[in-house]
Amino acid sequence: MKQLIRTMVMVSALSSITLPVYAELVIVVNPQNDIKSMSNSQAAQYFLGGSVQFTPLEQASGSPIRLEFYKKVLEKEPPQVQAIWARIVFTGKGKPPKEYKTSEEIKKAIRENVNAIGYIEKSAVDDSVKVVASIP
Amino acid sequence: MKKSLLALAICLLYPTLSQASDLSDDGTFKLTGFYSITGAKVLSGSALNSSTPWTYQQWQCPCSMQAWEYAGVYEKNKGFQFNQESLVGVQLKKDFSPTFSATTQIISRANNPNTGSRPTIDWAYATWTPEQDSPWTFQAGKMRIPLYYYSDYLYIGYAYPWVRPAPDVYGWPIYAYNGANLSYRAQLGKSEWATTVSAWTGGYTQKNDAYDTLIYYTTPTHESWKKILGVSVAANNGIVDVRAMYMRYKDTLWQDKPGGGNLYLVNDQSTQIMGVSANMDYKNWLIKAEVDRYQQVDASKGLNNVYKYALFGVGYQFGAWTPMYTYSQYTTINEPTEGRKTHYLSLRWDFHKDTALKIQYDISKDKSHYPYPFFGDSKLLSISLQGIF
Repeated sequence: MKQLIRTMVMVSALSSITLPVYAELVIVVNPQNDIKSMSNSQAAQYFLGGSVQFTPLEQASGSPIRLEFYKKVLEKEPPQVQAIWARIVFTGKGKPPKEYKTSEEIKKAIRENVNAIGYIEKSAVDDSVKVVASIP
Repeated sequence: MKKSLLALAICLLYPTLSQASDLSDDGTFKLTGFYSITGAKVLSGSALNSSTPWTYQQWQCPCSMQAWEYAGVYEKNKGFQFNQESLVGVQLKKDFSPTFSATTQIISRANNPNTGSRPTIDWAYATWTPEQDSPWTFQAGKMRIPLYYYSDYLYIGYAYPWVRPAPDVYGWPIYAYNGANLSYRAQLGKSEWATTVSAWTGGYTQKNDAYDTLIYYTTPTHESWKKILGVSVAANNGIVDVRAMYMRYKDTLWQDKPGGGNLYLVNDQSTQIMGVSANMDYKNWLIKAEVDRYQQVDASKGLNNVYKYALFGVGYQFGAWTPMYTYSQYTTINEPTEGRKTHYLSLRWDFHKDTALKIQYDISKDKSHYPYPFFGDSKLLSISLQGIF
Protein backbone atom coordinates (compact mmCIF):
# COMPACT_ATOMS: atom_id res chain seq x y z
CA MET A 1 0.00 0.00 0.00
CA LYS A 2 2.80 2.37 0.95
CA GLN A 3 4.47 1.54 -2.31
CA LEU A 4 1.28 2.35 -4.17
CA ILE A 5 0.83 5.69 -2.42
CA ARG A 6 4.46 6.57 -3.09
CA THR A 7 3.99 5.71 -6.78
CA MET A 8 0.80 7.74 -6.95
CA VAL A 9 2.45 10.75 -5.33
CA MET A 10 5.35 10.47 -7.73
CA VAL A 11 3.04 10.18 -10.76
CA SER A 12 1.04 13.22 -9.69
CA ALA A 13 4.20 15.18 -8.98
CA LEU A 14 5.57 14.29 -12.39
CA SER A 15 2.35 15.19 -14.15
CA SER A 16 2.22 18.56 -12.40
CA ILE A 17 5.71 19.25 -13.70
CA THR A 18 4.91 18.28 -17.26
CA LEU A 19 1.48 19.95 -17.32
CA PRO A 20 2.52 23.44 -18.46
CA VAL A 21 3.63 22.04 -21.82
CA TYR A 22 4.66 25.40 -23.09
CA ALA A 23 5.91 28.63 -21.64
CA GLU A 24 3.83 31.76 -22.05
CA LEU A 25 3.41 32.75 -25.68
CA VAL A 26 3.01 36.21 -27.15
CA ILE A 27 1.58 37.62 -30.36
CA VAL A 28 4.05 39.95 -32.04
CA VAL A 29 4.10 42.45 -34.92
CA ASN A 30 6.60 44.78 -36.53
CA PRO A 31 7.52 47.64 -34.11
CA GLN A 32 6.72 50.16 -36.87
CA ASN A 33 3.09 49.05 -36.90
CA ASP A 34 0.79 51.50 -35.06
CA ILE A 35 -1.31 48.84 -33.35
CA LYS A 36 -0.83 48.66 -29.56
CA SER A 37 -2.86 45.60 -28.56
CA MET A 38 -5.34 43.12 -29.95
CA SER A 39 -7.77 40.53 -28.63
CA ASN A 40 -7.24 36.81 -29.19
CA SER A 41 -10.28 36.54 -31.44
CA GLN A 42 -9.06 39.48 -33.52
CA ALA A 43 -5.66 37.81 -33.95
CA ALA A 44 -7.40 34.53 -34.82
CA GLN A 45 -9.06 36.19 -37.83
CA TYR A 46 -5.67 36.70 -39.52
CA PHE A 47 -4.64 33.09 -38.96
CA LEU A 48 -7.99 31.75 -40.22
CA GLY A 49 -8.17 33.88 -43.37
CA GLY A 50 -10.99 36.12 -42.14
CA SER A 51 -9.07 39.34 -42.63
CA VAL A 52 -6.01 40.33 -44.66
CA GLN A 53 -5.08 43.42 -42.64
CA PHE A 54 -2.07 41.50 -41.29
CA THR A 55 0.03 38.79 -42.95
CA PRO A 56 0.11 35.77 -40.61
CA LEU A 57 3.34 33.80 -40.15
CA GLU A 58 3.04 30.21 -38.93
CA GLN A 59 5.31 28.15 -36.73
CA ALA A 60 6.34 24.68 -37.97
CA SER A 61 3.55 22.16 -38.50
CA GLY A 62 3.17 19.92 -35.47
CA SER A 63 5.40 22.06 -33.20
CA PRO A 64 4.25 22.36 -29.55
CA ILE A 65 3.98 26.16 -29.77
CA ARG A 66 1.69 25.89 -32.80
CA LEU A 67 -0.58 23.39 -31.03
CA GLU A 68 -0.67 25.70 -28.01
CA PHE A 69 -1.58 28.69 -30.19
CA TYR A 70 -4.34 26.72 -31.96
CA LYS A 71 -5.78 25.62 -28.63
CA LYS A 72 -5.63 28.94 -26.78
CA VAL A 73 -6.01 31.57 -29.49
CA LEU A 74 -7.75 29.91 -32.45
CA GLU A 75 -9.65 27.53 -30.11
CA LYS A 76 -9.55 24.87 -32.83
CA GLU A 77 -7.94 21.50 -33.52
CA PRO A 78 -5.34 21.38 -36.34
CA PRO A 79 -7.69 19.53 -38.78
CA GLN A 80 -10.35 22.25 -38.30
CA VAL A 81 -7.81 24.91 -39.20
CA GLN A 82 -6.66 22.86 -42.21
CA ALA A 83 -10.30 22.49 -43.33
CA ILE A 84 -10.82 26.27 -43.18
CA TRP A 85 -7.70 26.87 -45.27
CA ALA A 86 -8.65 24.11 -47.74
CA ARG A 87 -11.83 26.03 -48.50
CA ILE A 88 -9.93 29.31 -48.96
CA VAL A 89 -7.12 27.85 -51.08
CA PHE A 90 -9.29 25.77 -53.42
CA THR A 91 -11.79 28.58 -54.05
CA GLY A 92 -9.05 31.13 -54.76
CA LYS A 93 -9.85 33.33 -51.79
CA GLY A 94 -6.38 33.58 -50.33
CA LYS A 95 -2.97 32.16 -49.57
CA PRO A 96 -2.28 30.03 -46.48
CA PRO A 97 0.26 31.46 -44.02
CA LYS A 98 3.90 30.80 -44.77
CA GLU A 99 5.59 28.41 -42.33
CA TYR A 100 8.81 29.12 -40.46
CA LYS A 101 10.94 26.60 -38.60
CA THR A 102 11.86 28.65 -35.53
CA SER A 103 10.87 31.75 -33.58
CA GLU A 104 14.14 33.34 -34.74
CA GLU A 105 12.99 32.96 -38.37
CA ILE A 106 9.58 34.42 -37.47
CA LYS A 107 11.24 37.47 -35.90
CA LYS A 108 13.41 37.91 -38.97
CA ALA A 109 10.36 37.78 -41.28
CA ILE A 110 8.50 40.27 -39.06
CA ARG A 111 11.44 42.70 -39.29
CA GLU A 112 11.12 42.51 -43.08
CA ASN A 113 7.36 43.09 -43.33
CA VAL A 114 5.58 45.90 -41.51
CA ASN A 115 2.22 44.05 -41.90
CA ALA A 116 3.40 40.69 -40.55
CA ILE A 117 1.98 39.04 -37.44
CA GLY A 118 3.36 36.02 -35.65
CA TYR A 119 3.54 34.26 -32.30
CA ILE A 120 6.64 33.25 -30.35
CA GLU A 121 7.63 32.23 -26.80
CA LYS A 122 7.69 35.18 -24.40
CA SER A 123 11.34 34.37 -23.68
CA ALA A 124 12.20 34.96 -27.35
CA VAL A 125 10.95 38.58 -27.35
CA ASP A 126 13.53 41.27 -28.15
CA ASP A 127 13.63 44.77 -29.67
CA SER A 128 12.94 43.49 -33.18
CA VAL A 129 9.26 42.79 -32.42
CA LYS A 130 6.37 44.45 -30.60
CA VAL A 131 4.11 42.39 -28.32
CA VAL A 132 0.39 43.05 -28.93
CA ALA A 133 -1.03 40.22 -26.81
CA SER A 134 0.20 37.80 -24.14
CA ILE A 135 -1.33 34.37 -23.77
CA PRO A 136 -0.63 32.87 -20.35
CA MET B 1 -9.24 7.17 -62.64
CA LYS B 2 -7.26 4.01 -61.88
CA LYS B 3 -4.03 5.89 -62.48
CA SER B 4 -5.09 8.78 -60.29
CA LEU B 5 -6.06 6.36 -57.54
CA LEU B 6 -2.62 4.80 -57.80
CA ALA B 7 -0.99 8.24 -57.58
CA LEU B 8 -3.17 8.91 -54.59
CA ALA B 9 -2.16 5.68 -52.90
CA ILE B 10 1.50 6.63 -53.39
CA CYS B 11 0.86 10.03 -51.80
CA LEU B 12 -0.81 8.39 -48.84
CA LEU B 13 1.96 5.84 -48.38
CA TYR B 14 4.62 8.51 -48.35
CA PRO B 15 3.35 11.20 -46.00
CA THR B 16 6.29 13.44 -46.85
CA LEU B 17 4.97 13.64 -50.40
CA SER B 18 1.46 14.51 -49.33
CA GLN B 19 2.29 18.15 -48.79
CA ALA B 20 1.88 21.18 -51.00
CA SER B 21 4.69 20.70 -53.50
CA ASP B 22 6.89 23.46 -54.76
CA LEU B 23 7.43 23.09 -58.47
CA SER B 24 10.00 25.88 -58.56
CA ASP B 25 12.93 26.65 -56.25
CA ASP B 26 11.68 30.11 -55.32
CA GLY B 27 8.30 28.75 -54.14
CA THR B 28 6.27 30.70 -56.74
CA PHE B 29 4.87 27.61 -58.52
CA LYS B 30 2.86 25.31 -56.27
CA LEU B 31 0.93 22.09 -56.68
CA THR B 32 -1.77 21.25 -54.17
CA GLY B 33 -4.76 18.97 -54.40
CA PHE B 34 -7.65 17.11 -52.87
CA TYR B 35 -9.46 13.82 -53.25
CA SER B 36 -12.59 11.98 -52.23
CA ILE B 37 -12.90 8.24 -52.54
CA THR B 38 -16.58 7.77 -51.95
CA GLY B 39 -18.58 4.57 -51.89
CA ALA B 40 -22.28 4.28 -51.21
CA LYS B 41 -24.96 1.63 -51.17
CA VAL B 42 -28.74 1.96 -51.29
CA LEU B 43 -30.02 -0.20 -48.43
CA SER B 44 -33.69 0.03 -49.34
CA GLY B 45 -36.11 2.20 -51.23
CA SER B 46 -39.62 2.58 -52.55
CA ALA B 47 -41.76 4.81 -54.75
CA LEU B 48 -45.48 5.57 -54.68
CA ASN B 49 -45.74 3.33 -51.61
CA SER B 50 -44.35 0.28 -53.38
CA SER B 51 -40.92 -1.25 -53.03
CA THR B 52 -41.26 -3.18 -56.29
CA PRO B 53 -38.20 -2.25 -58.35
CA TRP B 54 -38.87 0.47 -60.92
CA THR B 55 -36.95 2.33 -63.57
CA TYR B 56 -36.50 6.07 -63.66
CA GLN B 57 -34.80 7.26 -66.86
CA GLN B 58 -31.56 5.26 -67.18
CA TRP B 59 -31.53 4.10 -63.52
CA GLN B 60 -32.68 0.86 -61.93
CA CYS B 61 -34.40 1.86 -58.70
CA PRO B 62 -34.56 1.72 -55.67
CA CYS B 63 -31.88 4.36 -56.18
CA SER B 64 -30.57 7.56 -54.73
CA MET B 65 -29.58 10.80 -56.46
CA GLN B 66 -26.47 12.14 -54.75
CA ALA B 67 -24.72 14.33 -57.32
CA TRP B 68 -27.05 16.36 -59.52
CA GLU B 69 -24.34 18.19 -61.47
CA TYR B 70 -22.89 14.95 -62.85
CA ALA B 71 -26.02 12.82 -62.49
CA GLY B 72 -24.43 10.58 -59.86
CA VAL B 73 -27.03 8.03 -58.79
CA TYR B 74 -26.58 4.93 -56.62
CA GLU B 75 -28.66 1.88 -57.59
CA LYS B 76 -29.63 -0.74 -55.03
CA ASN B 77 -28.98 -3.67 -57.35
CA LYS B 78 -25.36 -2.57 -57.87
CA GLY B 79 -24.34 -2.89 -54.21
CA PHE B 80 -21.51 -0.68 -52.98
CA GLN B 81 -20.54 1.67 -55.81
CA PHE B 82 -17.35 3.72 -55.76
CA ASN B 83 -17.80 5.00 -59.32
CA GLN B 84 -20.30 7.82 -58.82
CA GLU B 85 -18.61 10.51 -56.75
CA SER B 86 -14.93 9.56 -56.32
CA LEU B 87 -12.59 12.23 -57.61
CA VAL B 88 -9.10 13.62 -57.41
CA GLY B 89 -8.21 17.23 -58.12
CA VAL B 90 -4.96 19.11 -58.48
CA GLN B 91 -4.44 22.82 -58.30
CA LEU B 92 -1.50 24.56 -59.92
CA LYS B 93 -0.77 28.11 -58.90
CA LYS B 94 1.92 30.34 -60.30
CA ASP B 95 2.76 33.65 -58.64
CA PHE B 96 4.14 36.01 -61.27
CA SER B 97 4.54 38.72 -58.66
CA PRO B 98 3.28 39.21 -55.08
CA THR B 99 0.12 40.78 -56.55
CA PHE B 100 -0.51 38.74 -59.70
CA SER B 101 -1.04 34.98 -60.03
CA ALA B 102 -2.62 32.35 -62.26
CA THR B 103 -4.43 29.29 -60.90
CA THR B 104 -5.95 26.22 -62.47
CA GLN B 105 -7.79 23.31 -60.90
CA ILE B 106 -8.17 20.07 -62.82
CA ILE B 107 -10.46 17.35 -61.55
CA SER B 108 -10.63 13.73 -62.63
CA ARG B 109 -14.01 12.21 -61.78
CA ALA B 110 -15.03 8.55 -61.77
CA ASN B 111 -18.37 9.64 -63.26
CA ASN B 112 -18.44 12.58 -65.65
CA PRO B 113 -21.14 12.45 -68.31
CA ASN B 114 -20.64 16.17 -68.99
CA THR B 115 -17.26 15.58 -70.61
CA GLY B 116 -17.10 11.83 -71.02
CA SER B 117 -14.89 11.03 -68.02
CA ARG B 118 -11.97 13.16 -69.17
CA PRO B 119 -10.44 15.35 -66.47
CA THR B 120 -12.11 18.75 -66.47
CA ILE B 121 -10.71 22.17 -65.80
CA ASP B 122 -13.09 23.33 -63.07
CA TRP B 123 -11.19 26.55 -62.44
CA ALA B 124 -8.71 28.57 -64.55
CA TYR B 125 -8.29 32.17 -63.52
CA ALA B 126 -5.95 35.06 -62.94
CA THR B 127 -5.91 36.90 -59.62
CA TRP B 128 -4.80 40.49 -59.22
CA THR B 129 -4.61 42.69 -56.14
CA PRO B 130 -3.64 46.39 -56.23
CA GLU B 131 -0.92 45.75 -53.63
CA GLN B 132 0.23 43.02 -51.26
CA ASP B 133 -2.25 42.58 -48.37
CA SER B 134 -4.79 44.75 -50.19
CA PRO B 135 -8.42 44.22 -49.16
CA TRP B 136 -9.39 44.22 -52.86
CA THR B 137 -9.08 41.15 -55.09
CA PHE B 138 -9.96 40.94 -58.76
CA GLN B 139 -10.23 37.61 -60.59
CA ALA B 140 -11.00 36.75 -64.21
CA GLY B 141 -11.38 33.40 -65.97
CA LYS B 142 -13.38 30.25 -65.32
CA MET B 143 -14.61 29.78 -61.76
CA ARG B 144 -17.39 27.98 -59.88
CA ILE B 145 -20.46 30.08 -59.13
CA PRO B 146 -20.46 30.96 -55.41
CA LEU B 147 -24.21 30.47 -55.05
CA TYR B 148 -24.98 28.85 -51.74
CA TYR B 149 -22.61 28.34 -48.83
CA TYR B 150 -20.92 25.17 -50.15
CA SER B 151 -21.38 25.75 -53.90
CA ASP B 152 -17.86 26.84 -54.76
CA TYR B 153 -16.21 24.09 -52.70
CA LEU B 154 -18.73 21.32 -53.25
CA TYR B 155 -15.94 18.89 -54.22
CA ILE B 156 -13.44 19.78 -51.46
CA GLY B 157 -14.71 17.11 -49.08
CA TYR B 158 -12.00 17.74 -46.49
CA ALA B 159 -13.42 21.24 -45.93
CA TYR B 160 -16.84 20.19 -44.59
CA PRO B 161 -18.15 17.62 -42.09
CA TRP B 162 -20.33 15.41 -44.33
CA VAL B 163 -19.59 12.93 -47.11
CA ARG B 164 -21.22 15.60 -49.35
CA PRO B 165 -23.30 18.73 -48.74
CA ALA B 166 -27.05 17.94 -48.82
CA PRO B 167 -28.02 16.99 -52.40
CA ASP B 168 -31.50 18.40 -51.68
CA VAL B 169 -29.94 21.87 -51.73
CA TYR B 170 -26.87 21.45 -53.96
CA GLY B 171 -27.15 20.63 -57.63
CA TRP B 172 -27.46 22.69 -60.78
CA PRO B 173 -27.29 22.27 -64.54
CA ILE B 174 -24.78 25.15 -64.62
CA TYR B 175 -22.23 25.51 -61.83
CA ALA B 176 -19.36 27.44 -63.40
CA TYR B 177 -19.03 30.79 -65.12
CA ASN B 178 -16.61 32.46 -67.47
CA GLY B 179 -16.26 35.99 -66.25
CA ALA B 180 -14.86 38.11 -63.49
CA ASN B 181 -15.31 38.84 -59.82
CA LEU B 182 -14.32 41.53 -57.42
CA SER B 183 -14.12 41.08 -53.66
CA TYR B 184 -13.37 43.24 -50.67
CA ARG B 185 -12.29 41.86 -47.30
CA ALA B 186 -11.98 43.90 -44.15
CA GLN B 187 -11.97 43.80 -40.41
CA LEU B 188 -14.87 45.84 -39.03
CA GLY B 189 -13.11 48.54 -37.03
CA LYS B 190 -11.16 47.09 -34.13
CA SER B 191 -13.70 44.34 -33.56
CA GLU B 192 -13.17 40.64 -34.21
CA TRP B 193 -15.75 40.80 -37.03
CA ALA B 194 -14.41 40.44 -40.55
CA THR B 195 -16.50 40.94 -43.65
CA THR B 196 -16.24 39.93 -47.30
CA VAL B 197 -18.28 41.54 -50.05
CA SER B 198 -18.11 39.94 -53.50
CA ALA B 199 -19.68 40.58 -56.86
CA TRP B 200 -19.40 38.43 -59.98
CA THR B 201 -20.50 38.58 -63.58
CA GLY B 202 -20.24 36.37 -66.65
CA GLY B 203 -21.98 33.50 -68.36
CA TYR B 204 -21.73 29.82 -69.21
CA THR B 205 -23.14 27.35 -71.72
CA GLN B 206 -23.15 23.59 -71.21
CA LYS B 207 -24.23 21.58 -74.22
CA ASN B 208 -25.93 18.27 -73.52
CA ASP B 209 -25.63 18.81 -69.78
CA ALA B 210 -26.09 15.79 -67.50
CA TYR B 211 -28.66 17.47 -65.26
CA ASP B 212 -31.18 18.40 -67.97
CA THR B 213 -30.49 15.55 -70.38
CA LEU B 214 -30.09 12.53 -68.11
CA ILE B 215 -32.26 13.46 -65.15
CA TYR B 216 -35.20 15.17 -66.89
CA TYR B 217 -35.51 15.27 -70.69
CA THR B 218 -33.61 12.18 -71.94
CA THR B 219 -33.03 13.93 -75.29
CA PRO B 220 -29.83 16.00 -75.55
CA THR B 221 -30.66 19.31 -73.87
CA HIS B 222 -28.50 22.38 -73.63
CA GLU B 223 -28.54 25.16 -71.07
CA SER B 224 -27.04 28.60 -71.02
CA TRP B 225 -26.86 31.14 -68.20
CA LYS B 226 -26.05 34.58 -69.57
CA LYS B 227 -25.68 38.06 -68.09
CA ILE B 228 -25.02 36.60 -64.66
CA LEU B 229 -24.82 39.28 -62.00
CA GLY B 230 -24.34 38.15 -58.43
CA VAL B 231 -23.45 39.71 -55.12
CA SER B 232 -22.75 38.27 -51.68
CA VAL B 233 -22.06 39.75 -48.27
CA ALA B 234 -20.52 37.63 -45.54
CA ALA B 235 -19.43 38.39 -42.01
CA ASN B 236 -17.79 36.27 -39.36
CA ASN B 237 -16.23 36.68 -35.93
CA GLY B 238 -14.57 33.31 -35.67
CA ILE B 239 -17.67 31.83 -33.98
CA VAL B 240 -20.61 32.97 -36.07
CA ASP B 241 -20.52 33.13 -39.84
CA VAL B 242 -23.43 34.69 -41.76
CA ARG B 243 -23.83 35.16 -45.52
CA ALA B 244 -26.45 36.51 -47.89
CA MET B 245 -26.38 36.07 -51.69
CA TYR B 246 -28.44 37.30 -54.60
CA MET B 247 -27.86 36.46 -58.26
CA ARG B 248 -29.81 37.06 -61.46
CA TYR B 249 -29.21 35.84 -64.98
CA LYS B 250 -30.91 35.07 -68.29
CA ASP B 251 -31.65 31.38 -68.72
CA THR B 252 -31.96 29.57 -72.03
CA LEU B 253 -32.82 25.89 -72.30
CA TRP B 254 -33.02 24.27 -75.71
CA GLN B 255 -32.84 21.12 -77.80
CA ASP B 256 -31.81 20.51 -81.42
CA LYS B 257 -34.70 20.18 -83.87
CA PRO B 258 -34.42 17.00 -85.99
CA GLY B 259 -34.27 18.99 -89.23
CA GLY B 260 -31.91 21.61 -87.81
CA GLY B 261 -32.52 24.70 -85.74
CA ASN B 262 -33.31 25.05 -82.07
CA LEU B 263 -36.35 24.13 -80.04
CA TYR B 264 -36.43 26.57 -77.11
CA LEU B 265 -37.91 25.26 -73.86
CA VAL B 266 -36.97 28.48 -72.06
CA ASN B 267 -35.58 31.45 -73.92
CA ASP B 268 -33.57 34.30 -72.42
CA GLN B 269 -35.67 34.13 -69.28
CA SER B 270 -34.93 36.35 -66.32
CA THR B 271 -34.14 34.12 -63.31
CA GLN B 272 -33.16 34.86 -59.71
CA ILE B 273 -31.40 32.78 -57.09
CA MET B 274 -30.98 33.93 -53.50
CA GLY B 275 -29.89 32.49 -50.20
CA VAL B 276 -28.97 33.21 -46.62
CA SER B 277 -26.84 31.03 -44.39
CA ALA B 278 -25.77 31.12 -40.76
CA ASN B 279 -23.17 28.86 -39.22
CA MET B 280 -21.80 28.64 -35.74
CA ASP B 281 -18.62 27.01 -34.50
CA TYR B 282 -18.53 27.57 -30.74
CA LYS B 283 -16.37 25.50 -28.40
CA ASN B 284 -17.23 21.97 -29.52
CA TRP B 285 -20.60 22.79 -31.08
CA LEU B 286 -21.24 23.17 -34.79
CA ILE B 287 -24.45 24.55 -36.29
CA LYS B 288 -25.09 24.84 -40.03
CA ALA B 289 -28.21 26.47 -41.43
CA GLU B 290 -29.34 27.89 -44.73
CA VAL B 291 -32.48 28.86 -46.62
CA ASP B 292 -32.37 29.38 -50.38
CA ARG B 293 -34.70 30.13 -53.24
CA TYR B 294 -34.68 29.85 -57.04
CA GLN B 295 -37.32 31.63 -59.07
CA GLN B 296 -38.11 31.77 -62.75
CA VAL B 297 -41.50 33.41 -62.85
CA ASP B 298 -43.27 35.04 -65.79
CA ALA B 299 -47.06 35.04 -65.70
CA SER B 300 -47.30 36.05 -69.39
CA LYS B 301 -45.52 32.80 -70.36
CA GLY B 302 -47.19 30.68 -67.70
CA LEU B 303 -43.82 30.18 -65.98
CA ASN B 304 -43.88 29.65 -62.24
CA ASN B 305 -40.73 27.68 -61.50
CA VAL B 306 -39.91 28.25 -57.86
CA TYR B 307 -37.66 26.01 -55.79
CA LYS B 308 -37.38 26.47 -52.02
CA TYR B 309 -34.46 24.89 -50.18
CA ALA B 310 -33.48 24.56 -46.53
CA LEU B 311 -30.74 22.86 -44.56
CA PHE B 312 -30.12 22.58 -40.82
CA GLY B 313 -27.41 20.63 -39.06
CA VAL B 314 -25.98 20.30 -35.59
CA GLY B 315 -22.75 18.60 -34.63
CA TYR B 316 -20.41 18.15 -31.71
CA GLN B 317 -16.69 17.66 -31.90
CA PHE B 318 -14.98 15.16 -29.58
CA GLY B 319 -11.29 15.49 -30.43
CA ALA B 320 -10.83 13.82 -33.80
CA TRP B 321 -14.50 12.78 -34.05
CA THR B 322 -17.32 14.97 -35.38
CA PRO B 323 -20.78 13.38 -35.33
CA MET B 324 -23.59 15.40 -36.88
CA TYR B 325 -27.31 15.31 -37.44
CA THR B 326 -28.56 17.22 -40.48
CA TYR B 327 -31.94 17.78 -42.07
CA SER B 328 -32.61 19.18 -45.55
CA GLN B 329 -35.55 19.67 -47.86
CA TYR B 330 -36.54 21.19 -51.15
CA THR B 331 -39.82 21.71 -52.94
CA THR B 332 -41.23 23.36 -56.03
CA ILE B 333 -44.57 25.17 -55.81
CA ASN B 334 -46.35 24.40 -59.10
CA GLU B 335 -48.36 21.17 -59.37
CA PRO B 336 -47.19 18.53 -59.90
CA THR B 337 -44.59 19.60 -57.36
CA GLU B 338 -41.19 18.02 -56.93
CA GLY B 339 -39.78 17.77 -53.43
CA ARG B 340 -37.74 15.80 -50.95
CA LYS B 341 -36.97 15.66 -47.22
CA THR B 342 -33.85 13.99 -45.88
CA HIS B 343 -32.35 13.20 -42.48
CA TYR B 344 -28.60 12.58 -42.29
CA LEU B 345 -26.45 11.06 -39.56
CA SER B 346 -22.78 11.60 -40.29
CA LEU B 347 -19.48 10.97 -38.56
CA ARG B 348 -16.16 12.52 -39.52
CA TRP B 349 -12.95 11.04 -38.15
CA ASP B 350 -9.73 13.04 -38.56
CA PHE B 351 -7.53 10.00 -38.11
CA HIS B 352 -4.42 11.19 -39.93
CA LYS B 353 -2.86 14.50 -40.94
CA ASP B 354 -4.81 16.07 -43.82
CA THR B 355 -7.02 12.97 -44.11
CA ALA B 356 -10.54 12.31 -42.87
CA LEU B 357 -12.72 9.23 -42.98
CA LYS B 358 -16.46 9.82 -43.07
CA ILE B 359 -19.43 7.55 -42.71
CA GLN B 360 -22.99 8.69 -43.25
CA TYR B 361 -26.51 7.27 -43.16
CA ASP B 362 -29.29 9.11 -44.99
CA ILE B 363 -33.03 8.55 -44.83
CA SER B 364 -34.70 10.37 -47.69
CA LYS B 365 -38.39 10.74 -48.54
CA ASP B 366 -39.59 11.70 -51.99
CA LYS B 367 -42.35 14.30 -51.58
CA SER B 368 -42.94 14.83 -55.30
CA HIS B 369 -46.48 14.76 -56.70
CA TYR B 370 -45.43 13.25 -60.02
CA PRO B 371 -47.89 10.62 -61.28
CA TYR B 372 -44.98 8.27 -62.11
CA PRO B 373 -42.27 6.93 -59.76
CA PHE B 374 -39.43 9.47 -59.57
CA PHE B 375 -36.23 8.78 -57.54
CA GLY B 376 -38.42 7.65 -54.65
CA ASP B 377 -37.61 7.11 -50.98
CA SER B 378 -34.26 5.67 -50.04
CA LYS B 379 -31.96 4.70 -47.23
CA LEU B 380 -28.34 5.20 -48.17
CA LEU B 381 -25.08 4.26 -46.47
CA SER B 382 -22.00 6.20 -47.62
CA ILE B 383 -18.35 6.00 -46.71
CA SER B 384 -15.64 8.34 -47.91
CA LEU B 385 -11.94 8.92 -47.53
CA GLN B 386 -11.22 12.58 -48.14
CA GLY B 387 -8.06 14.57 -47.94
CA ILE B 388 -5.84 17.34 -49.18
CA PHE B 389 -2.24 17.41 -50.31
